[in-house]
Amino acid sequence: MRSFSLIDFVSLFAALRWTVALVVLALAFGAPLALGLAMGRISRFAGLRWTMAACIQVIQSVPLLGLLFFFYFGMPVFLGIQVPALVAVTIAYTLYTAAFLGEIWRGGLEAVKQAQWEAGACLGLSAWQQFRHIIAPQALRLSLPPTVGFLVQLIKGTSLASILGFVELARAGQVVSAATFQPLLTYALVAAIYFALCLPLTLWSRSLEARLDGSR
Amino acid sequence: MALVEIRDVHKTFGKVEVLKGVSLDVEEGEIVTIIGRSGSGKSTLLRCINALESVDSGEIRVEGQKVHARMPDLKKFRQRVGIVFQAFNLFPHLKVERNITLAPLLTGRIEKAKARALAEDVLTRVGLADKIDAWPEQLSGGQQQRVAIARCLAMAPHLMLFDEVTSALDPELVGEVLKVMEAMAKQGMTMILVTHEMGFARNVANRIVFMHQGRVWEQGPPAKLFANPETPELASFIASAK
Repeated sequence: MRSFSLIDFVSLFAALRWTVALVVLALAFGAPLALGLAMGRISRFAGLRWTMAACIQVIQSVPLLGLLFFFYFGMPVFLGIQVPALVAVTIAYTLYTAAFLGEIWRGGLEAVKQAQWEAGACLGLSAWQQFRHIIAPQALRLSLPPTVGFLVQLIKGTSLASILGFVELARAGQVVSAATFQPLLTYALVAAIYFALCLPLTLWSRSLEARLDGSR
Repeated sequence: MALVEIRDVHKTFGKVEVLKGVSLDVEEGEIVTIIGRSGSGKSTLLRCINALESVDSGEIRVEGQKVHARMPDLKKFRQRVGIVFQAFNLFPHLKVERNITLAPLLTGRIEKAKARALAEDVLTRVGLADKIDAWPEQLSGGQQQRVAIARCLAMAPHLMLFDEVTSALDPELVGEVLKVMEAMAKQGMTMILVTHEMGFARNVANRIVFMHQGRVWEQGPPAKLFANPETPELASFIASAK
């Protein structure tokens, strides 16, 4: 046993890089997929709508822990595919992000009145131009608070990657706590770091919301 | 050849047949007002003319071109046929200028450098040049509707459709919108309106079309139609609209 020292502090912050890396990976792959899912969910092709809805339903119904287990432990057993841990967690977090963001963004897109599409169409704009210039900007503003809310969930959700051996913030907290016998101090510090990570996001979202809402 | 030719058009929503064989010609420069009770099919007919709804049978031709939702040049076609809605449908996230210039820029009708001048020009025509930098929600209903008309004018349409454009307005704001439309009529724009404004129908239109139960029931010049309705349905409609 040793007392809590600077080295412990540093190791917590060092572990933060995995937390950030996992979030970045999840967003980099998950966000484009989410956009695809959201657009599929509002498509005029019923088959596409149902397929997307089913995918989202399945992913949302499985706990994040279950997704992580499946892609790391399950895939080799059921499908005979063994992938490195980083690939497994990337797939799991990507799907998790895509499903939740996809539904959030679908809600935003559907909240924009149908008449707005129509008004664009009547001016001779293509479906893509209507989406890009009329629907998406309005949907973005509507979706911003829940999107940032999900982002905060995602940051905290990366702690689950510790079960596959990733020494991210939560896991580092365990290690430091075990070494120093100072669980209260350590976990308070871990919590403070998570908070410091999430707070600016929420503030940024609020200012962005105000800025995008140019009409007020 | 008439600018708009409508031949025996039928349209059904679910089990309800809304249009039961409508035929109508509109000549270039004509102001045609469609009147009738709610549910008589007037708005549906208007929406069919620019392919917002597709017809089940019969055909609609505009400038000789057959109109339907899958027509090859739908986008180009819609640039030539403007429509103004009851609910304005301005883009709330864009300022007035951008509301007007978005479509002309995206469709390549004008260059970026001339966009503001175009917005100023059409806004002047609807009497709102000073509102170019306003947000839609800062405007009254009447002003929003005039911006919606200006947005259409910016595309230099050959034909304008008006779908009950004053119905959502407070009574004191109706006049300013009608005045703009009257000015457009004087400048020779071909216009088809669905309206409950009998005064406008009587004074500005060249022809009144009375629709009843999905059919063109009676039509003719306003003076004749209002003074001597031939059918009891039109007579009772005129009486109730007073």
